[in-house]
Amino acid sequence: MRPFDYVRTTTLDETCQLLGQDGDSSVRALAGGTDLLTLMKKEISVPTQLIDLKRLPDLPSGITSTAQGMTIGTLTTMTEIETNVQLQEKYPLLAEAAAVAATPQLRNMATIGGNLLQRPRCWYYRNQLVNCWLKGGDECQAQDGENQLHALFGGGPCYAVHPSDLAPALLALEATVQLRGPGGERMVPLAEFYALPEEKRRQETQLEKDELLLNIHLPGLPAGTRSTYLKAMDRKVWAFALVGVAAIVRLEEQKIVDARLVLSGVAPIPWRVTAAEQALVGATANEATFAEIAEFALADAQSLSHNAYKITLAKSLVRRALTMLTDEG
Amino acid sequence: MPIQHIKVLRNGTDEEELKVVETTGLPTWDADTKFTVVGRPQSRLEGLEKVTGRARYSYDVRLSGQLYAAVLRSPYPHARIRHIDTTKAEQLPGVHAILSSANAPDDITWYEEKSKLFDKTLRFIGDEVAAVAAESEEFAQDALRLIEVAYEPLPFVIEVEAALQPDAPRVHDKGNRVDEPTIYERGNAAAGLREADVVIEQTYTTQTAVHNSLEPHGCTAFWEGDQLTLWESTQGIFETREQVAEKLGLPEHHVRVVKEHMGGGFGSKQVPWKQTVIAALLSKQSGHPVQLMLDREAENLAAGNRNATVQRVRLGAKRDGTLTAILADIQVVVGAYMVGGEASEVNGMYERLYRCPNVRTEQIGVYINAGPCVAFRAPGHVEAAFALEAAMDELARALQLDPLTLRNRNYSEIDQKKEKPLSMPNALQVCYERATAAFGWQTYQRPAPTGPKRRGIGIAAHEWGGSGQPPAYAWIKLNGDGTVDVVTGTQDIGTGARTGLAQVAAEVLGLPIEQISVHLGDTAKGPYSPTSAGSSTQASVGPAVFAAAVEAKRQLLEVAAKLLEEEPERLEIRDGVVMVEGEPENKLTVAEVTGRLAPHMIIGQGARGPNAKDKTIRTFGAQCVEVEVDVETGEITVLRVVAAHDCGRIINPTMVDSQVFGGITQGVGFALTEERIVDEKRGLVLNANLEEYKIPTVADIPQMTNVPVNLPDLAANPTGVKGIGEPPLVPTAPAIANAVFDAIGVRLRHAPLSRRQLLAALATQAESIDKSAPPHTQEGQS
Ligand SMILES: Cc1cc2nc3c(=O)[nH]c(=O)nc-3n(C[C@H](O)[C@H](O)[C@H](O)COP(=O)(O)OP(=O)(O)OC[C@H]3O[C@@H](n4cnc5c(N)ncnc54)[C@H](O)[C@@H]3O)c2cc1C
Ligand code: SF4
Repeated sequence: MRPFDYVRTTTLDETCQLLGQDGDSSVRALAGGTDLLTLMKKEISVPTQLIDLKRLPDLPSGITSTAQGMTIGTLTTMTEIETNVQLQEKYPLLAEAAAVAATPQLRNMATIGGNLLQRPRCWYYRNQLVNCWLKGGDECQAQDGENQLHALFGGGPCYAVHPSDLAPALLALEATVQLRGPGGERMVPLAEFYALPEEKRRQETQLEKDELLLNIHLPGLPAGTRSTYLKAMDRKVWAFALVGVAAIVRLEEQKIVDARLVLSGVAPIPWRVTAAEQALVGATANEATFAEIAEFALADAQSLSHNAYKITLAKSLVRRALTMLTDEG
Repeated sequence: MPIQHIKVLRNGTDEEELKVVETTGLPTWDADTKFTVVGRPQSRLEGLEKVTGRARYSYDVRLSGQLYAAVLRSPYPHARIRHIDTTKAEQLPGVHAILSSANAPDDITWYEEKSKLFDKTLRFIGDEVAAVAAESEEFAQDALRLIEVAYEPLPFVIEVEAALQPDAPRVHDKGNRVDEPTIYERGNAAAGLREADVVIEQTYTTQTAVHNSLEPHGCTAFWEGDQLTLWESTQGIFETREQVAEKLGLPEHHVRVVKEHMGGGFGSKQVPWKQTVIAALLSKQSGHPVQLMLDREAENLAAGNRNATVQRVRLGAKRDGTLTAILADIQVVVGAYMVGGEASEVNGMYERLYRCPNVRTEQIGVYINAGPCVAFRAPGHVEAAFALEAAMDELARALQLDPLTLRNRNYSEIDQKKEKPLSMPNALQVCYERATAAFGWQTYQRPAPTGPKRRGIGIAAHEWGGSGQPPAYAWIKLNGDGTVDVVTGTQDIGTGARTGLAQVAAEVLGLPIEQISVHLGDTAKGPYSPTSAGSSTQASVGPAVFAAAVEAKRQLLEVAAKLLEEEPERLEIRDGVVMVEGEPENKLTVAEVTGRLAPHMIIGQGARGPNAKDKTIRTFGAQCVEVEVDVETGEITVLRVVAAHDCGRIINPTMVDSQVFGGITQGVGFALTEERIVDEKRGLVLNANLEEYKIPTVADIPQMTNVPVNLPDLAANPTGVKGIGEPPLVPTAPAIANAVFDAIGVRLRHAPLSRRQLLAALATQAESIDKSAPPHTQEGQS
């Protein structure tokens, strides 16, 4: 790791100003550090200054119920999300996703803000010897390399998958993020906040360099909504999703009236399969429907040389999630 | 009374000639011996030290003025150093010493003389380029960045088949074959195949697995005058001493190697690596103690691994299951170098495990531009078992025989290679019986499938060495207060050697274990003991401690006899008290005897005697596994493993359990998740860390049962002990693969059994999932 200065700030404005200070990205915000520090150790991120967000008094932390929904402060740890009783009641999907993410030690340190902003685990990206496209280089080594963990959707130029388990759950819950920059605050639906990396913006979010994430707002869910997060991993725990599915369904008399399906581990950003959701609405809940929906959800998937198995896996998880959620009993 | 004399002097290379000590007249612990300490669970003597964090590992050494070293490693899989300039690094404050090909001694060679300590040709990503010693790890890292190297990248090869092509890039000048193939044949294998009613022909592959010991490799080196001390994480303090002395041109008594506690080695620390000598030289150059510990990445790149294999197997059998032929063509991917030490004998199990008159094996080693392999817990056998034991399962299916029946039908009671009897001809039989009985193999009722989940069971067997051997020495010192110091130059590599040795001494001396201390892990303080490898520490050093204790006891009873005015033959020691047979009143405590003697003391010396020559001593084992496979998601869950392993006499059941559970755990990793992933186009190791190199977590570990098999083997040594360190890992992976087949009718022949492989196989063989379908037909069935 390269030497850096540790900085504490007292106001949000001061922090944003500092973050936007110069042309190169050498000032970075530090939350739990579970992602940033590992990137620094590999010299993938090389800040000269780190601002300690955990010491920034105005940065929100904790879970508050609102009239309809809930607000989660960016510094809330993943453990809090996993164990908060109100959250478990209102948004079991999110608590479930938190519980299968990372490890207890990591969840104690990691913040929800950091989780949404973590960088890909692509093993070329994380390798110090490779300067891949996402890091500013010219080519994506995964495209013709060991891409068994890589994307089925939205690939090119980058085929990395978004590593977060919370993001797909939050996307399914139609969360909005509250951002703060030098010019003030803005509210951005998570669906827009995540955007496929492109030539001029080689990152997975719309967050500006001088912006802070403050809160995540969750709208209310109609009564009778059911949800689940299923995650396939290489081992039982402590692994990123090979494929994950965040599913929300509301039934009225065996007819599906509302459905949301977000896949994780399949695209550079959490991947909502809207067309499949729409096809579900009005359909009768049964095996045949779900098999069709699973096919439909993966219809546009494009496999690379080593990741076709993920298509099968994703279909199975979609079918399973829908079956579980509509099972009477 | 033990008599020790030198029988044959060490001359030449014949194994038999190397045994220099004959120990006769020792009592033996036969099957009827009554024990008070041996055979009972005993928690580890160093346990408290470890769980309270006080135990000192190599990383914990802190000496005054100590520097920290870091190594610059090759970023190319194959390259030549055109130019190296360390000037800027030298000028960095806090930097004390730098070594590279520019200034390191040119005459220190490594890897069977194929590389120099700092070679200008680099053959894998991670090969050593330069090293720095500085006042902190951070300074050392900063200095590495300032070293300027001009590399000339060279063509490289990663994939084994490509490496064997005539025009492949050459890892070494002489090409990519390590040597001429090793060929073994007995009978006529081709004819045996022709005789067969059924032939199985399949190719199996096993992956490169990395040891990933919790404690990385490394050492702290310190010179006092011309006396070098190394606190080294090693399985062999004497081996390290010998090699370092040789490389540095030092007399052996000027080198001291210390290893107090160790966080595992699994074979990777049974040979000294370059960093040990580098640390010694940096220390010499700087005049400071230098600590050089590898980080996790280096540990994965450049500190050894289990060689990948490609094994083409052919088995021929009669309708009744009698084997007529076993053939195996084996490619062993050794990486960029051979490190010496134990070679991976993949061929061995094909030649020994089953009775078969016609056997042919051919094994070649292949170089590629990746980190070198080194022995890894049961080297060769883990790889061979994955193929052979799966092939036997395939054969059983083809013959519609129970896999256990097929194994019993081909049971071998002799060492077919040497045409000698086995010391314990029925040991494997006992393992089969105990494992299958405890598992319920014969009575297993497959539960009805629940949804997409299918259950299945599998069995696999193994054989292995582990007899232990001479030389090994130990001293027993009786102190004035009746306590005992056991001194030996072995090391505790994490297996609990101290405790096992203390139990042997306590038993012989009739003392409670609290009165025994074991001192080991220091070449300056204890007599020679061999490297802890080949599951041999208890079986090699235990008998030396036994002999020393017998000798100490003889002396003690001689003194006690004088004090009690009795004949020594009539005396016995029980629970720290010397008693006269049949005269309960006439007694003295051991402490009273030694107290009367003090400050004179009793010293017993013991040596490990030779093994029986007329018999072959092996260890055996079998494991039964139940798995559950989710046919929709490809998830494999290992539900339970029942193991039965022959390790001779069990000194400490708790420690045997530990070895078995640890072995199964590594076996689950080998079977399901552990694999070094290398980008073949770029030579990059993509998962040189513990996030992506996936060892099993506690949630992945099945319910494990170890059924004790306590068969004292007196052909091995008077204590009847054989090894248990390596074997429990061997049968786990094939038993899992066989169980997966049993569950879903899909045969996975490539370790690890990844989801990718399983889901792909399921997609192509979807019809065979249905258990009511006709039995899976074998390709290659004649
Ligand atoms: C071994 C391992 C396994 C893991 N497994 C999983 C898993 O299974 N599932 C999963 O979802 N995650 C997993 N993770 C990722 C982990 O959840 C994230 O590292 C963690 O959530 C990041 O949070 P943090 O607070 O530590 O962020 P940091 O590392 O401190 O920050 C991450 C990034 O977010 C930025 N940032 C943080 N807060 C703000 C803010 N308020 N405003 C602006 N920028 C901000 C930082 O500048 C940095 O760029 C794993 C991580 C590891 C190391
Ligand atoms: S997938 Fe993305 S992160 Fe990975 S190598 Fe390609 S560009 Fe880089």
